[in-house]
Amino acid sequence: MRAFNYCRPTSYGEAFHWLAGADQLVVPVAGATDLIPRIRDGLLRPDVVLDIKDLPDMRALTPTDGRLTSGEGVPPGLYVGAAVRMNELARSELVSSRWGVLAMAAASMGNEQVRNRATIGGNICTASPAADTAPALYVLEAAVCIKGPDGDRTVAIADFFAGPRKNALHRGELVVGLTIPQPPEGSIGHFEKLSRRKAGDLSIVSVAALAVRTDAGYRWRLALGAVGPTPLRSPESEAILSESLTDEAIDRAAASAYGCCCPISDIRSGLEYRQAMVINLTRHAIHAVMAQMPTP
Amino acid sequence: MLHEISLTVNGDHYTLAVHSHHTLLQVLREQTGITSPKRGCENGECGACTVILNGLPVNSCLVLAPEADGAVVETVESLNKGGTLHPLQEAFIEHNAVQCGFCTPGMLMSSKALLDRIPNPTEDQIRDALVGNLCRCTGYLRIIEAILDVAGSCDEP
Repeated sequence: MRAFNYCRPTSYGEAFHWLAGADQLVVPVAGATDLIPRIRDGLLRPDVVLDIKDLPDMRALTPTDGRLTSGEGVPPGLYVGAAVRMNELARSELVSSRWGVLAMAAASMGNEQVRNRATIGGNICTASPAADTAPALYVLEAAVCIKGPDGDRTVAIADFFAGPRKNALHRGELVVGLTIPQPPEGSIGHFEKLSRRKAGDLSIVSVAALAVRTDAGYRWRLALGAVGPTPLRSPESEAILSESLTDEAIDRAAASAYGCCCPISDIRSGLEYRQAMVINLTRHAIHAVMAQMPTP
Repeated sequence: MLHEISLTVNGDHYTLAVHSHHTLLQVLREQTGITSPKRGCENGECGACTVILNGLPVNSCLVLAPEADGAVVETVESLNKGGTLHPLQEAFIEHNAVQCGFCTPGMLMSSKALLDRIPNPTEDQIRDALVGNLCRCTGYLRIIEAILDVAGSCDEP
C-alpha cells in the first residue's frame, strides 16, 4: 500500500487543525473497511489518514433524552456516534426496541468481520447509493450531526447524500453522529435487500418500509437503495399506502416505487432486472410490515 | 512514518515500530513471525486473515497497524497453547473439514469467536458467522458439521 501518515486525535481542535491543512489530502477514517481497499487499488491517495475513533462521543449510542440532547424541542430519539459499528447497531437491544429497521439494515451489511469494524459514519460518508443503512435512515428521517471549525450544523439524511460517493460535508468538517427520532409506539419497520449472494454482498436493490403509527392508522414511509444516484424516498407510494392497503393499492405503490427510481446497469445487475426487482422488493417489504400489524 | 505500538498477541507482549500504511496482517506475519493469518483477497471478502481483535473477529488486512496499539490479538496459534489441540481443531480433523488448509486458520478464529459469543449456535447462526470466510475446497458442509459437533448440537453420532 502507498505510504501515508496516520494520526489519531483525541480533541476536535486537533482534528480540525489536521483537516485545515490545505497542502495535503487528509482523509478521516473510522472502520477503514472501505478506505483500505480504495487506497490499495490506487483510487485514493491520502497524505494523512485521520482516525476519528478517539474523538469525544464518537462511540456513543444513547437515547437523546440523555446528555447528548441538543437543546429544547428535540423529540425523544436515538443518538448514534459516527464510529458506532454495524454489529453494535445490529445487536443493540436499544436500537431493536424502536429502530428495528436500522438494526436489520446494519445486520445485512458485509460479513461478521466487516460489521465488527465498519461504522455508520463511514457508511453514510462514503455516500454509496447502495449504502445498506441509508434506506433505513431515510424512513426514520435521521439527521446528520456535523462539526466544523466554525461550529455545528445538522443536515437531514436525504440532503446529506449528494450523489454517488458525494456527501454534503464542506471542506474541514466531520460527521460526528446521527440523531434519529423515535417512531411512535406501535410503528413497524422492515428492511429488505437483494444481492447476488444471500449475504456478504452489496445490494442490487434495497427497500426500507416504516409504517408510522398515528391515531387514525398508519402513515407510511418507503425508501429505496441502489436504484439511483442517491438513496431515495417514494412519496407517491407512501401516500397510496397511507390511504389504503388493498392488493390493488399495494400494486400501485410498488409501481410508483418503480417510477421514481433511475437505476444503472453494473456488475451486480442489469438495469431491467433492477427495475423489476424494485417492484418485487417493495411488495415484499409492504407485506412484511403488514404481517406485523395487529389484527383489528 | 513509524509508530511505536504495544500489543498482546496470543498472550505474548510485543513492542514494535510499525509503518502507518502497513496492516495488522503485515505486522503479524512480517514482524512477529506469526504466519497463520493468511494474505488472501486483501479486501475483506475471503476471511483468510481473520484474527480475534479485542474479542471480536476482524479481517487483519483491514486494520491499520498503528490502530493495533494496545490491542489484544488472538490467532490460531493461541488455540493449542500448552500442546493440546482445541476442541474445534480436533473436530476439524475428525470431520475432514480441512483440504488445502489455506482458509482453516481464519475458519477456526471465526468459529472460536462464534462459540465465545453463542456457545450453542444453530446451523443458521454458524452459516451467518462464516459468511466472511471463503473456502474453495471443502464445500463448507464438513466445516459446519465440525462446529456443530463442538457446539454439542450435532445430529450425527
